[in-house]
Amino acid sequence: MASTRKNVWELGGDWADPILWYARGVNAMKSRALSEPTAWRFYGAIHGIDQGLWQQLGYLDPQEPMPSSANINNFWNQCQHGSWYFLPWHRGYLIALEAVVRDAVVKAGGPADWTLPYWNYLKPGQNALPPAFASADWPDGTGNNPLFVPQRYGPNSDGNVFVPVDQINLNALGDPDFTGDANGGSPGFGGVNTGFSHGGQVHGGIETQPHDWVHGLVGGGDPQSNLPGLMSDPDTAALDPIFWLHHANIDRLWEVWRENPTTHVNPVDPNWINGPAAVGQHAFMLPMPGGVTFTYTPGQMVDLSTLGYTYDDLSPPAGTPQVASRLRRLGMNATMASAVAGRLAMPGPKTVELLGASTGSLSVTGTDARASVALDSSVQRKVSASLQSAAAGAAPALPDRIFLNLENVRGLNDATAFAVYINVPDGEDPAKFPDHLAGSIALFGVRKATMADATHAGNGLTLVLEITHVIDTLHLAGALNTDQLHVRLVPTRPVPEAAQISIGRISIFRQSN
Amino acid sequence: MWAAARRFEAWFVIPAVIGLFGWSMLALDAGGLTPPAFCASGTSWLELSSLNHALAFNSPAKLAADWALMVAAMMSPLLFTPLRHACDRSFARRRTRATLLFVSGYAAAWMMAGILLQAIALTALWAMPAPAIGLGLVAAAAMGWQVSPAKQWCLNRCHRRPRLAAFGVAADVDAATFGLTNGAACVGTCWALMLLMLLMGSGHFAAMIAVTLFVFVERLENPAPLAWRLRGAGKALRIVTAQARMRLAPRRSFEEALP
Repeated sequence: MASTRKNVWELGGDWADPILWYARGVNAMKSRALSEPTAWRFYGAIHGIDQGLWQQLGYLDPQEPMPSSANINNFWNQCQHGSWYFLPWHRGYLIALEAVVRDAVVKAGGPADWTLPYWNYLKPGQNALPPAFASADWPDGTGNNPLFVPQRYGPNSDGNVFVPVDQINLNALGDPDFTGDANGGSPGFGGVNTGFSHGGQVHGGIETQPHDWVHGLVGGGDPQSNLPGLMSDPDTAALDPIFWLHHANIDRLWEVWRENPTTHVNPVDPNWINGPAAVGQHAFMLPMPGGVTFTYTPGQMVDLSTLGYTYDDLSPPAGTPQVASRLRRLGMNATMASAVAGRLAMPGPKTVELLGASTGSLSVTGTDARASVALDSSVQRKVSASLQSAAAGAAPALPDRIFLNLENVRGLNDATAFAVYINVPDGEDPAKFPDHLAGSIALFGVRKATMADATHAGNGLTLVLEITHVIDTLHLAGALNTDQLHVRLVPTRPVPEAAQISIGRISIFRQSN
Repeated sequence: MWAAARRFEAWFVIPAVIGLFGWSMLALDAGGLTPPAFCASGTSWLELSSLNHALAFNSPAKLAADWALMVAAMMSPLLFTPLRHACDRSFARRRTRATLLFVSGYAAAWMMAGILLQAIALTALWAMPAPAIGLGLVAAAAMGWQVSPAKQWCLNRCHRRPRLAAFGVAADVDAATFGLTNGAACVGTCWALMLLMLLMGSGHFAAMIAVTLFVFVERLENPAPLAWRLRGAGKALRIVTAQARMRLAPRRSFEEALP
């Protein structure tokens, strides 16, 4: 029988049994030596490890015995980011962790059907860190609660941990394509086509929002040392027990996307189905209880019923964009909008082209950074014509979608996060212009992406935000006929110069179906 | 990639045409399997005994033309991915122009390197008492370079994808500069193998094909930290093996995978 992962806020109490047993399981894993493949820190290193950073944060003693080189090579540094393997790799990672925790739970006399809860920060009133994770004590008041980590600073770096959901857009859930492209257009719901990608350059839609955002804002950074919170950096993130509830929610959102609407389908490309081993790279491998190795492919991760679990809620969150509502907003009558959306909201070949770009690079420091994106008039006319024909109901295709790219984003601090606004008038508070909010970015993985002699070759990250809704707003207000758009970045916390955050270019692309 | 060919996209078509032209010209000149740089008359370089003799048979123009053909043939497969970046990040109407500028910069790097490499090759030809010694020394240097951290440094820079200006002269300069820097990284990665090619005698054409395949598959590997290590065709071999296994063995179900 399928087990059901449940909402952590709806289990019946701060320390409801599933949470208490999770804490006991984590405690058992934390008591194991790093060299044991089912140890908590070993599992953290599977996601990623930077030994220097671990030592700085007190998670690695340089004198302690390390695992065998075979175990390090087989298991460590596997997390898939900036890749169409992001979702399936993490699904397997959750399944394996759940099995290891369940094994510890059962050995401690707990329920054999224990399942990992998820944290649905998108649900109203549930964006605060679940209390069991915020307390240094067990429910009986004794210390050393294994769910608590001191290196969890929150959006304001003051230890108050919550997810600012007002700055999240859920455009990814409306993307008809799982697989995107790294050409400036949609990176897809699930990511771009890559090989084994322990940190790719372009993050997929669901990876950018809400995944990266939650990582960066929950983890935050230490205002004294400027070291990242555990969740903020891929090389420490899985050491935080809340990581697993966050990823269970991302895993849930994958299933939400796949079912809403039913035209959403997972990739059928053999290179996705068979995983990176099929293209000559590292297979997905995880240690399981009993010394067994779990080797899996993305194709084995697509069907929850086969995998033996489900979620208690697979309804789309409020605010998920709908094609029909966009068409209606642009002026199409409701009947036609539904018909066109149903007929055209299918994956298909796309044309992507540059619409405009900034000149020069942009340094992000302090509380505000601004740049202007000059638009090409001929491409701009195509966008306007596309939007106007949609309003007239004469479009044989969906109106253009528009994407903002922050290219070659480099820096030294993954705990950097900012909201991106378009055309907020000078001197005005951007928060008063929610219609102009393009989305929010957390630079999860930027430190590694900046290293010249590592897997990114120092290219940094390229972060893509769909800004179709903002462009539609400008179009409807008659403000799109301009030669440039003004982009404003509003960091959640002041960005120190030492973080050396820079953006190579800000560009805007149109994508037509 | 085939979709790009069908749509005549510049990032695919231009290097493909350059490569085909290069290989065609070399094939026409390869009746006697002679190295392009030193055998204008069809005489084997083994018969050349002095620098003057070598230069008598090889004018600078001939050396440059042969070198350009060799680079065009062997390096064009390496241009697809950086050119894809240049085209993706350019306005649609500027993609062909950006591609040509990139190729110009890339070619300039290799032509400058060609002067130095040809000079080294001619010097080796003149200075070494026996050709085999020169060939052996360069082969040893190529093997040493192949496993060195310095080679990895160059390979990593071959994977750099810089920001590119979108408008006007700045866009042209950036496209050409990208080509030049990518070409310089490519020279750093491949110089030893290309020098070896210049000194090869019979079997030169076959060796060029082999080296072309080698440098192409080598570029499939991800950038990596600097270290002494064997590097080359490992990933390509893994791909071939994995694809063969996929086709020969049935897919495992999840139940079979999960212990």
